[in-house]
Amino acid sequence: MTANKEKRRVISRDAARRRRQVESEVFVDLSRLLPFQQSVQDHLDKPSVIRLTLSYIRMHTLLKGKTGIKVEASHAVKCGQVMESGQEWRGCDRGRDDEEKKTDNVEASEETNMFLRILEGFLMVLSTEGDMIYLSDNVSKYMGLTQTELMGHNIFEYTHPCDHEEIRNNLRLTAEEVWCGAKRDFIMRIKGALTHRGRSSNLKSATWKVLHCQGRAKVCVAPSSVSCLLLTCQPLPLSHTLLSTHTFTSQHSMDMRFTYCDQRMTLLLGYSTEELLGRSIYDLCHILDTNCLTKNHLNLCFKSQSVSGQYRMLVRGGGYVWVESHSAVIPSVRPSKSRPGAHQPLCILCVTYVLSGVEEPSLQLSLDQAVHRYLR
Amino acid sequence: MSAGGSDGTADRPADLAAEGECPEQAGSSLPAVEVPRKRKGDVEERSGTHGQHSVDFQKDDDRSRSEGEDQQVKMKCFREPHRQIEKRRRDKMNTLIDELAAMIPACQPMARKLDKLTVLRKAVQHLKALKAGTGSAFTDTTFKPSILSHDDLKHLLLRAVDGFLLVVSCDRAKILFISESVSKILNLSRLELTGQSLFDFIHPKDINKVKEQLSSSEYPRQCLIDAATGVQVQVDAPARPPLLSTGARRSFFCRLKHSRVAGKQDKHFLPCTSKKKDTSRYCTLHCTGYMRSCPSSQLDSEGDSEMESSDLSCLVTVCRLLTPMSHQPPKELTIRPSEFVTRWAIDGKFTFVEQQATTVIGYLPQEVLGTSCYEYFHQDDLLHLADKHRQVLRSKEKIETRCYKFKTKYGSYVSLQSQWFSFTNPWTKEVEFIVSSNQVISGPGHTKDEEAGNSKALQEDTKQIPIIPSLSSGLGTMIYAGSIGTQIANELMDSYRMNSSPSSRACSPFGPTQEKCPQVSPQTSTSASSREEASGSSSQSQCDSRTAAGTSSATSESLAAVSRININPIQGEPSQLDLDLVPGLSSFSSDEAAMAVIMSLLETDVNMGQSEDFEDLHWPF
Repeated sequence: MTANKEKRRVISRDAARRRRQVESEVFVDLSRLLPFQQSVQDHLDKPSVIRLTLSYIRMHTLLKGKTGIKVEASHAVKCGQVMESGQEWRGCDRGRDDEEKKTDNVEASEETNMFLRILEGFLMVLSTEGDMIYLSDNVSKYMGLTQTELMGHNIFEYTHPCDHEEIRNNLRLTAEEVWCGAKRDFIMRIKGALTHRGRSSNLKSATWKVLHCQGRAKVCVAPSSVSCLLLTCQPLPLSHTLLSTHTFTSQHSMDMRFTYCDQRMTLLLGYSTEELLGRSIYDLCHILDTNCLTKNHLNLCFKSQSVSGQYRMLVRGGGYVWVESHSAVIPSVRPSKSRPGAHQPLCILCVTYVLSGVEEPSLQLSLDQAVHRYLR
Repeated sequence: MSAGGSDGTADRPADLAAEGECPEQAGSSLPAVEVPRKRKGDVEERSGTHGQHSVDFQKDDDRSRSEGEDQQVKMKCFREPHRQIEKRRRDKMNTLIDELAAMIPACQPMARKLDKLTVLRKAVQHLKALKAGTGSAFTDTTFKPSILSHDDLKHLLLRAVDGFLLVVSCDRAKILFISESVSKILNLSRLELTGQSLFDFIHPKDINKVKEQLSSSEYPRQCLIDAATGVQVQVDAPARPPLLSTGARRSFFCRLKHSRVAGKQDKHFLPCTSKKKDTSRYCTLHCTGYMRSCPSSQLDSEGDSEMESSDLSCLVTVCRLLTPMSHQPPKELTIRPSEFVTRWAIDGKFTFVEQQATTVIGYLPQEVLGTSCYEYFHQDDLLHLADKHRQVLRSKEKIETRCYKFKTKYGSYVSLQSQWFSFTNPWTKEVEFIVSSNQVISGPGHTKDEEAGNSKALQEDTKQIPIIPSLSSGLGTMIYAGSIGTQIANELMDSYRMNSSPSSRACSPFGPTQEKCPQVSPQTSTSASSREEASGSSSQSQCDSRTAAGTSSATSESLAAVSRININPIQGEPSQLDLDLVPGLSSFSSDEAAMAVIMSLLETDVNMGQSEDFEDLHWPF
């Protein structure tokens, strides 16, 4: 009796082992077909293989709709080409043979690589459910996690819970919006597994990183209607930018009242520093741009960094200028080493770019402007 | 744990050694993070992709529990959650297999669900087919293999970013390289631009700005910001900026000329960009990039012999078109909804409006005082709001309305929900006024009805359909909408009068009688049909036929109907339609106006029979 049972058990165990063997082989085959380097392929586990296969298939479905847009050939013109490595310049005459096709590929890849590098961001393709179907491979530079680790996962697993609603709203696409290629521009917090020095750590010590996402909707009609969001995600660096004379910095308390502004503000807008201290930025801007300022302010309060979009600042004496502000929340005093855990008072630092000249200088939009005009 | 080995062991539940560990493979391990277990957002089920998270939580639990306990219990605790771990792993795998099956065309027509192995095999075939289709891009070993071909990536990138790559030399701002996508944005071809001076295309006022940005070491004032303190740091100009150092970063906005060939470009404009004297149009771009230094030996193919073989600085930037999105109201922000209080007399005319109301409805308080609230209610809501109006006049409790639309000054609608409460004079026992506390309902996250209502309102904004096509003047609205309130109030007054002195009832003279029904609306076919949708009562079709008949033929009908009205016992005490109270009526030609009024009364008569709530009214019998 028991011998029979034993026999059966052995048989079933062997059968199971064989089945698993076959399955593993298929998985290996599948992973070999994935467009990654051998070393990467070998280290993928089964769910990852499927996840990445899914991404691969989905991206191809998405791109099937486009009619092979190739790099345009400009036949007779010599053009400069910047190569990423080395500092060579190369003029090229473009023909259309295979060799040139390869060169085109090289150019395309270099151009996109350069583009992504200069943009200082990565590309993300999001499905309407929030699956990160595709991420460009430089994502590891910003998030500390590689393309293969992240692709196929859902974005809601990696973003701050308080931002989920905003992300969902941005993913909501009506048919009309998709057809028009509706644009999206928002800020979200994502997990970043990078140390201060920029080396990858693991997810256990992840911190929140603020990303500015901009892009548009894309649809592919055939074979099945698939719509998704194409976004470039950029972190918001504030430091070490050469500021022009058309840019000024200002500091505000958390309610957006001025606590400091530099002299260029005076040159550009006419207000002296003393006039502005204690006044709210909402007073200084065109009333119709209140929405824009509110959104900016809220982003700062919740996410600690923001890009404002374009709004109008009133010029002393009349008229306004179009500006855009990049802001961040910073501690208002240098963090002291003696009391590291102490609560830091915060303030807002804004770098404001002036985009236009003074528009409609005779237009009085606020009481202040009227006063200044007559008291000149 | 090597990949090959772990694939096998992970599936064997009996292997205790494996079960305790979290597989440390690329892509699958998601160890615990400082993320609260309870997530606010729309997180998928934990049995799905969160399986790995739970592993660690379970492990932590196990560890803490087992420390104080003996071996047996430890084993039991291990097995219990382990089963769940395994189950989650299997579920996750099954979900993935299902998704894969859904994506592969070969798997789709199958009626019954395919088993795992078949799906995987089909996936292999599918990938092979895809690779064959796309050509040699992936088999080419010189290139790093990637999910997307470079062309595809480029295409996607350009779709996401309305921008182009630009390389300019620093000394003369010569455009050394510009990517193809510039044609989409500026409507100027790459050929036209390459080799030209950038200054030819920049808005004159921005030339100085760009010059500053292009100058590298010569610029005296290099102002950098130290993000830690927010203080500007004056940096002594280095002899030569290092390659790609953060100090060499540039970020600025400038306006570039663009051609008007494609009319679409106008959309991207900020209103400030066009100069009146200059016929060219400009669009604003945000340029970010770095200063780079490159040998100039092969720079100029024209063989400029004056070019030294010294290093040339150039600026490599990505120029991105600005999205004018900032002016849209932030739909996703859930700010506390605005509230405001208004007070109206019993006939619906505003007697007090709070200051805050202006931010919601657009009108200043003085603009609405004295006007009837019915003039601002959307047609579809008239029925329900009039109903509530009647209710609140007769009830001592707060009446809550459903979500309704209120017309703002600009013609658009804002969704409100209100609580109404009537104040009764304790001595005269009559209602003096109604207090209305209104909340703005907006944004997503509400019931489907409200959302549908919102989107409908938005559609109406865009189409700008006037409420009353034929009598689209504001006066026209007032006649019908305003009188609703008056009617309801009159009903109430009558009921008071009747209650106080039943003998004082008098028959009204024959003439245009006033119906005690809120269903007054202009008799145009559009409005009738929309009311049809709103109330859905079958009587509407009768109204339609009447309105369709035209006003002229209705004269005789109306007289007959009116006589019927008098006889109809349900009517109770009809009171005069006091036309003088409704301002503006006299300015219309009397025939038209009278006819219009009669028609509306007739319609309301019919509806009365169906929708009246008899209990609340004090009928004189």
